[in-house]
Amino acid sequence: MQKLSAALLFGSACTALSVAQAQAAGTVAGTDISNTAEASFQVPGGSTVTIPSNTVVITVDELLDVTVTSSDPGDISTSPGATDQVLTFQITNTGNGQEAFRLTADTAVGGDDFDPTLQQIVIDSDGNGLYDPGIDTVYVAGSNDPDLAPDESISIFVITTIPADRVDTDRAEVSLLAEANTGTGAPGTSFDGLGQGGGDAVVGTTGADDDDSGFLAVQQALVTLVKSATVLDPFGGDQAVPGSTITYNLVATISGSGVLNNVIISDPIPTSTVYIPASITLETAALTDATDADAGEFDGTNINVSLGNVPAGETRTVTFEVTIE
Amino acid sequence: MITYIPKAIIMMAATCMTGTAYAATPLQLSSDVYVERAETSADGATKLILEKPTTVLPGDNLVFVVKYTNASNEPASNLMVTNPLPKPVQFNGTADGNEQVSVDGGKTWGSLNTLLVQEADGTSRSAQMSDVTHIRWELSQTLAAGSSGKLIFRGIVR
Repeated sequence: MQKLSAALLFGSACTALSVAQAQAAGTVAGTDISNTAEASFQVPGGSTVTIPSNTVVITVDELLDVTVTSSDPGDISTSPGATDQVLTFQITNTGNGQEAFRLTADTAVGGDDFDPTLQQIVIDSDGNGLYDPGIDTVYVAGSNDPDLAPDESISIFVITTIPADRVDTDRAEVSLLAEANTGTGAPGTSFDGLGQGGGDAVVGTTGADDDDSGFLAVQQALVTLVKSATVLDPFGGDQAVPGSTITYNLVATISGSGVLNNVIISDPIPTSTVYIPASITLETAALTDATDADAGEFDGTNINVSLGNVPAGETRTVTFEVTIE
Repeated sequence: MITYIPKAIIMMAATCMTGTAYAATPLQLSSDVYVERAETSADGATKLILEKPTTVLPGDNLVFVVKYTNASNEPASNLMVTNPLPKPVQFNGTADGNEQVSVDGGKTWGSLNTLLVQEADGTSRSAQMSDVTHIRWELSQTLAAGSSGKLIFRGIVR
């Protein structure tokens, strides 16, 4: 079994032990595929001879491929006139060579309600996936096109301004396009000699360009306040006479969508009436008159109740009482 | 199914006459690599052709042809042909199915369905085509003086 030992010698001597790691993008452009076969045999007399074949070398060309995906989980809520509105995209070099990609944002995509104004495209230069004004780099086409290794990704932020005249539920689509600098076209299009490693660059299945869209949705919450009064006279009736108690009922209704922030209900005590101390309630819970941790106060002129941030679709009911002088 | 293989063999027969000869040994061994290309003819039909590439792309289908010839006046026995698989290539079967493969760099050999791959966590799993590192053929018949043969396997550029 001389041949067996010879074969084992081949195996261990000729190849590194690890299996080649297949990247998603495939073998890196410029890599040589070098193939040599070996043979061993016995000649009459019993000696074993081993010989190699010729070596065939083939170079792996560069495949140009890219994907763009929106990183936002859904619509980004915004408001009329808002600036620095951020849509986030991820660009991945799915080709097998180092490649720079030209970026174009389109805020005028059809089929939506409005077109935001493009402020700038920003590259996530610190790689944390978050828009950091002043830290991340503003993109300048042709100057700092993101240069990505095979399988490398980078986040791109498209920063826009919302027109002031938009209303609740208006929605805008913004798309980001990335194109391989070497070239784009139908899959299979070849750019001779332009591939990494000196081979050709060949357009892959993505066409060497890709785009995806993010969405901005205007959320505008509005508050309406309805005030009513109930009179209780000293005789158990409902006549407004000196000594009668008036209970004011203030209902704030938040409509539209989103959240209305820092809502405060304020109501002056009417002339010819006297505020009944500690009579403020919010959602039927009693509030103190002092300026303190609870939401209510009486400042001598007005009752003020801080409702905080109230989501659209909810109501808040405040009551207070006065006595007619 | 693989109707173009006979064509490849015909091409081979012509090619290997010019292959590298090793005059110092009685056996001549040559290696050729072809790539499948889809060619669309004028009538719109697409057919696969094999050509000798200088460059390929990830995903390309390759056909490796190893040709052996006993150029001596004496028989050669116990012939074994081994082809370490280039790392950028994933094994995709042989034409004859008589090969042994290795998934550990040539230490152990067997038919693919008998081999196991050791995972990093200590478990093992059945070996796949993508695990193959080496291919070899043991030819039981003595190769008579002047006779030749060929071995064909397929691969995919990773």
